[in-house]
Amino acid sequence: MVEITVKVVGQRTRRLKVDPGTTIAELLRRVGQNRETVVVRLNGRIVAEEERLKEGDLIEVIPVVTGG
Amino acid sequence: MLRCSFCGRRAVYHRRYAGVFLCDRCLIKSVERRFRRAINENKLILPGERVAVAVSGGKDSVACMHLLHDYCRGKRCELVAITIDEGIKGYRDESLPIARENAEMLGVEHHVVSFREAFGATLDEMVKVAAQRSTGLNPCTYCGVLRRSLLNQAARELGADRLATGHNLDDETQAIMLNYIRADLSRLYRLGPGYSPRQGFVPRIKPLREIPEKEVALFALLKGIKVHLAVCPYASGIHMEVRDFLNSLESNHPNSKFMILRMFDEIKPHLEAAVPGFEARGCESCGEPTSSTLCKSCELLQGLGLMRRRKNLIFVEPS
Repeated sequence: MVEITVKVVGQRTRRLKVDPGTTIAELLRRVGQNRETVVVRLNGRIVAEEERLKEGDLIEVIPVVTGG
Repeated sequence: MLRCSFCGRRAVYHRRYAGVFLCDRCLIKSVERRFRRAINENKLILPGERVAVAVSGGKDSVACMHLLHDYCRGKRCELVAITIDEGIKGYRDESLPIARENAEMLGVEHHVVSFREAFGATLDEMVKVAAQRSTGLNPCTYCGVLRRSLLNQAARELGADRLATGHNLDDETQAIMLNYIRADLSRLYRLGPGYSPRQGFVPRIKPLREIPEKEVALFALLKGIKVHLAVCPYASGIHMEVRDFLNSLESNHPNSKFMILRMFDEIKPHLEAAVPGFEARGCESCGEPTSSTLCKSCELLQGLGLMRRRKNLIFVEPS
């Protein structure tokens, strides 16, 4: 397992343990976020949700779907 | 590291409905290309026209203003921005300065029209009165009808040939589904890239209609454009349920939103015969164009004990 930090804008920061090689898409499902509605920064860079996670990664989840 | 399917640079986005990865540059270029294509294929703007853009400060409308600014420069078109201040505390007062800042930065003439000046009350105040009077109408009904009416009047007074809004693919598919659910054929028929109703209405255009909401957000973030990302405090009900349903569908079945849009565009030409036409006349209370004696805005305002106050919304300082 590797430890990562997840910051969803508007929520408290969480430290989570995930299997090495877990993708951001899988992580989003775990934290209850729909990939269609968020933009993700991995260690400060906007990335595609198929990027894989490694020890110490910081993931920022920015909800961007505001319409209604 | 995932790479862009087109140039090999670091990918920032997986466009699953097309099976490609995009880097920042290719995503920005793709959004710009789709925007121009929507305008050109549907003849949404003609060279030399004066275009009004509705700008709330949110990502869609601000991105739309930036894209229109570039487009208009090349087509000898004039661009003017209109912001409607509905009076939503903690929301519109935060987004309005962002709209103004972007317009100033681009050098776009910007006008703010408020519910308070036009109708004598803010949306927050209207919502309270509606609850006291048990009108049974939700805030979005008041906001949507009154905002559209002010936008049209302001655009007309500014001499605009077109009124552009930042509606994206998500907004359009939500509207299609909502009108199906409500069995509202007239409203369904009005959807599309452009709508040119009767005299007195400025033709409305939606140049972001074929761009998913997430891609509009990425465009704004990657270009470093300042936008307001908050959700309206009044957003609730069936709109949200339809939005969540469509996002869940898209997540499990990429391309669903585009398929809904394509199917609607196929059906639309056949709807004309089923939708009754109407003769536009002036509302007996405010004079704005309507199909009945009283326009929808005045009907809603009367239910709240209010009326349209200002006859002219736009005042231009004499130079």
